[in-house]
Amino acid sequence: MKFYLALWFAKLMGIAINLVSKDRGTNLPGEKALTIDPDFVKHFKNIDYSKVIFITGTNGKSSTTNLVTHILKENGKKIVSNLEGANLLGGIATILAKEASLSGKLKADYYVFETDERYLPLIYAQLPAENMLITNLQKDQVQRNGDPDFIIRKLKEVVNPKMTLILNNEEPRSRFFEEIARRSIYYGVSRHDESFTKGADYPTQACPKCHHDMSFDYYNVDSIGAFHCDFCGFASKSTPDYLVTDLNFAKQSFKLKNVDFHMPYDLPFMFYNYAGSLAVCEEICGIAPAAAAKAFESFKNIGGRFEVLTYKNKTIKYMRIKQENPDTLQSALNIMASDQSEKMVALGLYVVNDFVPHYINTFYAFDCDFKPVVDSNVERYLCFSEHVSYDTANRLIYDGVSKEAITIMDSDDINEIFAEIDKAETDNIYLITWLSTFEKMKKFIEGGQN
Amino acid sequence: MEQTIKVGWLFNNMFNLHGDRGNLLAIRAEGQRRGYQVEVTQINLDTAIFNPMDFDFLFCPPGEIEHFEVAAIYLEPHRKELMDYIETRPMLVTGTTVALFGETIERDDQSTIRGLGIIEIETQENHTVYGDDLYYSCQYNGKEMEIVGSQIQMIDLDIKEESPFGRLKYGYGNNGETRFEGVISGKGIFTNTLGPVLICNPWLTEEIINLIESNKNWPIWEDHRDNLLELKSLKSKIAHIDKKEMRLKKLSER
Repeated sequence: MKFYLALWFAKLMGIAINLVSKDRGTNLPGEKALTIDPDFVKHFKNIDYSKVIFITGTNGKSSTTNLVTHILKENGKKIVSNLEGANLLGGIATILAKEASLSGKLKADYYVFETDERYLPLIYAQLPAENMLITNLQKDQVQRNGDPDFIIRKLKEVVNPKMTLILNNEEPRSRFFEEIARRSIYYGVSRHDESFTKGADYPTQACPKCHHDMSFDYYNVDSIGAFHCDFCGFASKSTPDYLVTDLNFAKQSFKLKNVDFHMPYDLPFMFYNYAGSLAVCEEICGIAPAAAAKAFESFKNIGGRFEVLTYKNKTIKYMRIKQENPDTLQSALNIMASDQSEKMVALGLYVVNDFVPHYINTFYAFDCDFKPVVDSNVERYLCFSEHVSYDTANRLIYDGVSKEAITIMDSDDINEIFAEIDKAETDNIYLITWLSTFEKMKKFIEGGQN
Repeated sequence: MEQTIKVGWLFNNMFNLHGDRGNLLAIRAEGQRRGYQVEVTQINLDTAIFNPMDFDFLFCPPGEIEHFEVAAIYLEPHRKELMDYIETRPMLVTGTTVALFGETIERDDQSTIRGLGIIEIETQENHTVYGDDLYYSCQYNGKEMEIVGSQIQMIDLDIKEESPFGRLKYGYGNNGETRFEGVISGKGIFTNTLGPVLICNPWLTEEIINLIESNKNWPIWEDHRDNLLELKSLKSKIAHIDKKEMRLKKLSER
């Protein structure tokens, strides 16, 4: 009876919240339902766990979930998915309550859930999915996650021999889980025009199997690329099951299993999401790459990390990074560096303020190689954001930028930021900062300050 | 012939968590500013010959506890040499890796790892992670200074009879219950301060290089580095700390 009370309460609450705002309520109804019935998710009926797919990992969860769902829907499948990115147990409970009948029955071909890697054991305890894609396991949000091994231990609580795993072939920590699962499918990306290497003083990582040093022949995305351990032989496969090849940036196309695909986003980290999604669709859901290809023509990613604003005669290219995550910062830097035209670089790394205590950590910037940006025709740098601007400037100085080329602004005042942008002779502005400051800047422009 | 500072970077790939390579950049830049050549040698599990006394400065960055057992096995034959080394020469060990140099590490799953026993500390892995700013005063090579940085604490330290490296002005420090931050043993610094601590606090970097100069009987460089940018940063970070909401036990109650 508790389950029904919780279900009806969640449904009513979901409807009420939806009336106020369609953007809200992705977590709350489920969270409340779980207080009424702590095993709420476990009690839904008709879920075939072999049709449940978890998509987890550090980066790329949302985009991969969105793409898998899009491909399956375009191929006529009924999907239940948490597309809004509410990836904790409460978010999954919310979507299940919304999709279920009043008696708690669900009817879907597949259940595709983005799952927060830290909370995976809690989710799995109530929803034992038999399929899981691991995008990558990287340094990320250290204030809550500590180090990658902390997350690996969480995943070890869940991964079992009954599972089918879809694994990133070129990311050692994800590949490590092949030892536990019944069946592992590998996906990857071949070397392409934006693949890169880093100097010997940029550390790599320990081999997850033998602790010795891992070497990367190249990176397609920071910390992801063809790898090998000379000591134990652990290495990426040269031909994984699903390999994105023939990446053509000019034609916006790629191939997988000899099928031609349109490339909806030409960003290197997205290539892994394409490969992983195609692996899930064929291996778990029986949708072959040829059938999936058409869906790429109409794919729109939700909550992407890139946005372009027009301000006066200038173009501001905004790149959102994840805090405490060197890989997303390196991806943004690589994109900047690939543009050799004159530019202004505005860097607003910021105080980490996810929860109390807020704290200062810009140290992950030292894992990133700024040199290609420094060598890419930068007219001027602006380092802004209260309490961290000096550290940001110092990072640039240690990669060879002169102090005179940097304006340091120990502030987040958008009027001051725009005043500095106004001073730039170039009309090509790259901006990295947190969403809150960017939203204020966007409003400033939309408010007619143009 | 150019004078050379030799730096040993321990387990640079295995222990790589928080942009720690910044510390090597700081040492290299300050050494080069004083006209020295700075030679950095990476020491890993496959390094056949490691003699601590071949180096003027050793740096061991923070790592995942998962790797401590193999690191301890590698370093065990050099335990005595490392103890002799820190009597006179500078070494910096940061973050969780401090535990590797202590007595025992009790893990969250109740297992135990035996550390090197170079410093007399007992350590316990925490069930949850605590991340925060860290601000303390300390003395190194005879100079009083303030250090600011950040801390991602996965291990609590009980420093027993050892001397703390710093006295907290803000932060969790060794275990959130005392005012102690890290350990100093001889010239070895064992600190919870993560990331490029030597970039953010160049006054410590200067003293490390001063000590190296003294150890090598080179004249101490008198032309001080321009630390204006870092001093402004320190001031701004202290302002942040002063106004922040915190959940730590107050220093006055520790």
